[in-house]
Amino acid sequence: MPPILRIPNSIVGAMIAHARELDPYECCGLLAGTPGTVSRHYRITNTVAQDARAVAVFDEADVKPLAALSESTRAEVAYFMEPKEMLAAFKDMRARELDLTVIYHSHTHSPAYPSMTDVGLAYYPEAAYLIISLEDKTTPDLRAFWIKDRRVTPAAIETI
Amino acid sequence: MIKVRIPTPLRTLTKGRGEVESAGSTIDDLIGRLNQAYPGIKDRLCDEQGELRRFVNVYVNEEDIRFLKGKDTALKSGDDVSIVPAIAGGC
Ligand SMILES: [Zn+2]
Repeated sequence: MPPILRIPNSIVGAMIAHARELDPYECCGLLAGTPGTVSRHYRITNTVAQDARAVAVFDEADVKPLAALSESTRAEVAYFMEPKEMLAAFKDMRARELDLTVIYHSHTHSPAYPSMTDVGLAYYPEAAYLIISLEDKTTPDLRAFWIKDRRVTPAAIETI
Repeated sequence: MIKVRIPTPLRTLTKGRGEVESAGSTIDDLIGRLNQAYPGIKDRLCDEQGELRRFVNVYVNEEDIRFLKGKDTALKSGDDVSIVPAIAGGC
């Protein structure tokens, strides 16, 4: 049984604020901690939100639902973490002896469930994938999932 | 020797090891040698044309090789190579 993820209220608030800041683009970031308890938050730049041309990276993944959309629309429904910032975050986690516990991103137009693309590109089975939905702008919805071998199961989260 | 950090999804190929050592004069050479030691790893890192997949980030001493010389980036003993899958998604 995977552990319940305990996330401090302040970090939940910071993730929602991050999602609202980037709306209509998706935000993304990482959380780290000890098994089951999150203690650290890293905002990571979404290269797609910064430059719509960065969505070209998805062409290789042969992502059908994205291919049908225009470049600017795709930029609102995709994220790609800036590689250097990601590495710096991983390095910081190692220095602090923390584990990667959560990979989060926002959905600005859809519910808080992983899309086909989210599932296809989930390369981190050890982390929970958390999605912040701003589909209803007044009531953000947060849900987390384990994604292993393309199978998605809900991850229990508790705010502390 | 070059230290290579292996990401979790590829550790099934390295008998669970998160860090391995290998020789190699370039990234291309290193990947070839890794594939001899751990068959199948090249396919996970490179496409059919032998180019590095875009959803795999490779760093030499923390520099993204896309900003160096890609697969032709030169390596020397003592270098640290990190293989880090990209984190991405979309609707
Ligand atoms: Zn998503």
